[in-house]
Amino acid sequence: MSQRIALFFIFLVMASKVIAETTVLPTIWEADRLTIYSATDLNAIAPLLDTFSAQNPDIKLEYREFNTQELDRAIRAKPLADQPDVVISSAVDLQVRLVNDGYAQPVFGEAVEALPSWANWRNEVIGFTYEPIVFVYNKQAFEEKTVPLTHESLASAMRIDDDFFIHKVGSYDARRSGIGYLVATQDEVTSSISGRLQESLGRARTQVYGQTSMLLDDIASGTLIFGYNLLGSYSFAREKRDSRIGVVIPQDYALVVSRAVFISKQAKHVSNAQRFVNFLISKEGQEVIAKKSELMALTPDIDALLSRQNIQDQTINFHPIPLGPALMVYLDDSKRRRFIKAWESALLSINEDQ
Amino acid sequence: MLMTEKSYSIRSRMLGRSALLLLSIFFILSLGVWHYARQSANYSYDRLLNSASLSIMEGLHVYDKQVDLDLPYAAFEMMQLADEDKVFYQALGTKGELITGYPDMPLPSKFNEESAIAFYNARYLSEEVRVVIRHKRLSEPAVSGWVTVVLAQTLRARHKMMNDILYRSFAVLFGIMACVMIVLWVAINRALEPLSSISKSLASHSLLSAEPIQTTPIQEVSPLVSAINDYQAQLLSNLAVMKRFIADASHQIRTAQSATQAQLDIASQSQNLADLPEHLNKIRKEHERLTRLTNQLLTHAMVVHRSDTVANEQMDIEAVMKQLLTECVRDNAHRQIDFSYQCEQTLPLFMGDSISLCEAVRNLLDNAVYYGPEQNLIEIRLQADLSGIDIMIDDAGPGIPIGLREKALERFQRLDNGLSGSGLGLSIVASVAQAHGGDFFLEDSPFGGLRARVHLPKEGTVCRSE
Repeated sequence: MSQRIALFFIFLVMASKVIAETTVLPTIWEADRLTIYSATDLNAIAPLLDTFSAQNPDIKLEYREFNTQELDRAIRAKPLADQPDVVISSAVDLQVRLVNDGYAQPVFGEAVEALPSWANWRNEVIGFTYEPIVFVYNKQAFEEKTVPLTHESLASAMRIDDDFFIHKVGSYDARRSGIGYLVATQDEVTSSISGRLQESLGRARTQVYGQTSMLLDDIASGTLIFGYNLLGSYSFAREKRDSRIGVVIPQDYALVVSRAVFISKQAKHVSNAQRFVNFLISKEGQEVIAKKSELMALTPDIDALLSRQNIQDQTINFHPIPLGPALMVYLDDSKRRRFIKAWESALLSINEDQ
Repeated sequence: MLMTEKSYSIRSRMLGRSALLLLSIFFILSLGVWHYARQSANYSYDRLLNSASLSIMEGLHVYDKQVDLDLPYAAFEMMQLADEDKVFYQALGTKGELITGYPDMPLPSKFNEESAIAFYNARYLSEEVRVVIRHKRLSEPAVSGWVTVVLAQTLRARHKMMNDILYRSFAVLFGIMACVMIVLWVAINRALEPLSSISKSLASHSLLSAEPIQTTPIQEVSPLVSAINDYQAQLLSNLAVMKRFIADASHQIRTAQSATQAQLDIASQSQNLADLPEHLNKIRKEHERLTRLTNQLLTHAMVVHRSDTVANEQMDIEAVMKQLLTECVRDNAHRQIDFSYQCEQTLPLFMGDSISLCEAVRNLLDNAVYYGPEQNLIEIRLQADLSGIDIMIDDAGPGIPIGLREKALERFQRLDNGLSGSGLGLSIVASVAQAHGGDFFLEDSPFGGLRARVHLPKEGTVCRSE
């Protein structure tokens, strides 16, 4: 499958600033191209691109992968003439700020109007996936223990079973990972126990990671036994392939990140971009997301997820992070400094002391 | 009514003008509504901006000898009430240095820190924004001075609210206008209904039938109906007079003709040539009578016709009377009649028909000559007073007894005085006087005979410019 994908993509570049600044191809190609800058694993999104290319064989896709913060920096650094057509990222706060700063243009289409309001801001930035933030655990390690199902029980489990958890809990590095920072801040906004949980995580000497895949690797191998606040899409995908790990959707509340896409204001292939974004939220596109890709569709089959957890009579309080300017609060330099400082002192001070 | 005026429908004209009026009212009201909508939208969202900026101001504090901002999440959640609008913010320290936020926000040209808060419109990042700027004085040992929070929001929610109010108000206004137009249409139709019913009954109505149009209970329309009925009655009575006149005239002419014919027959059958001059004399007298009758009939017709059609002109009555008298003296030079003329004051000019007035006075003079004795005294006397001008013709003839004077004015009424006449002369004078808005009287003359007085009203006089 990856061979086929390679055929469709002119470029397939892993995150790299140097390459991201390469000059564009001659203009003869312009009309039938579509440039996508994205902070999404190519493997996860490939089936979507694949289907779109099959439907529109004359549109050549150019896909470049970044991590979320690099993507934000790349868009801001690029001259207006060199902006990509479509920008995708799970760091919705950064996406919202780009839109607020005038980097986007509206998307038109019936499907856009039908979106839930939290997944659409100004018709300019649109959420097209539904990715709960989950706990991931090493099944072998928890063979004899109860897996914590809520934030509350996780906090108390870590406090009580200190030795079991110490050095073995992993989470995102809020300083390096855009999605890590987003969920950490949203935890603070959403929940009253986040302070206590941070303290427990600190006491357990939580290891911090920049990327989801490395976190999942370490949990699977047993280097870690528990992962806190991981992106559900990648975790469920890994769980399917790897029997060593288990995924829990927290029951008290589960933040939901919706991967956000916008069309650049300076897009050179606007009609292609409009077609692509409309495809992402179309019935067909959502079906591809649900069935073929590692991502999760906007209306996910939640029952299927729950049944895997053997929970009965439990409803999960899904809390989608709404797209809107409030997401920019924690991007404020001063606010960010303050939050990171608090986060560091809670999670990392003990590590550094030693 | 001028015939050149284009015909039009009063219904469509009234409806059209009402629609035009309503439209202009609608236009004026729309301006008001637009103003109101804009103001209330601005008012609502300015309050939102105001509270959010206040909340942000609360987040400003001094930390480690520096002003720092802990941006409150609540402030932005508040701003999200305008859910489609972008938000820009900035916090400035005591020296105007940027603490945090967007570095290049549009600021007013002059800070007025005394007024704690100010709103203005600006353009930022190619968007129209409403900006609030808020100042607060910090006075702590480490830092003291004015700090500033600038908060801006795009205008989408305002426009949405404004349009919402506008559309609703327009809908209501349109509804009212439509109702008014419908009511007007019904009312106009209702008001014009009697007109069409009258025209219908007039159309089916014969003008000469004596039957009047049915009266209506509608107060506004009944004057019209009675006016039409009056007009019809007047027409019918005039017609009756005319019929009688024609009948009388034809009778008179036939009588005169048959008398002439009889004399001719007698003359032609007479064997005696010696009688011929006598017969001829009779025939000539009969013929004279016929001629006089015909002339007077024609004069009568002319006078009546002229009074209907001829426009009045300025005339000098004195000159006309003198002229008439001169003619009369000349015509009757062979008779022993004394003519005199009396006018003691300057008469004003008179607006009238000089030809018919001449005819009337000539008739009176002729009558005075004709019916008077051989040695007669005839005087024209002109007199003006506040009520108008009097033209009086006095004679020293036998006069008319008081009881018969009224009858003498009627057509074809001849007084039994042994003299032949048409019976039209005095009635012509009366018609002329009437046509000029005046009156005609028969009175006693100071000479013992008849005084014929034509009174012309003051309305017709014109001041002499001399």
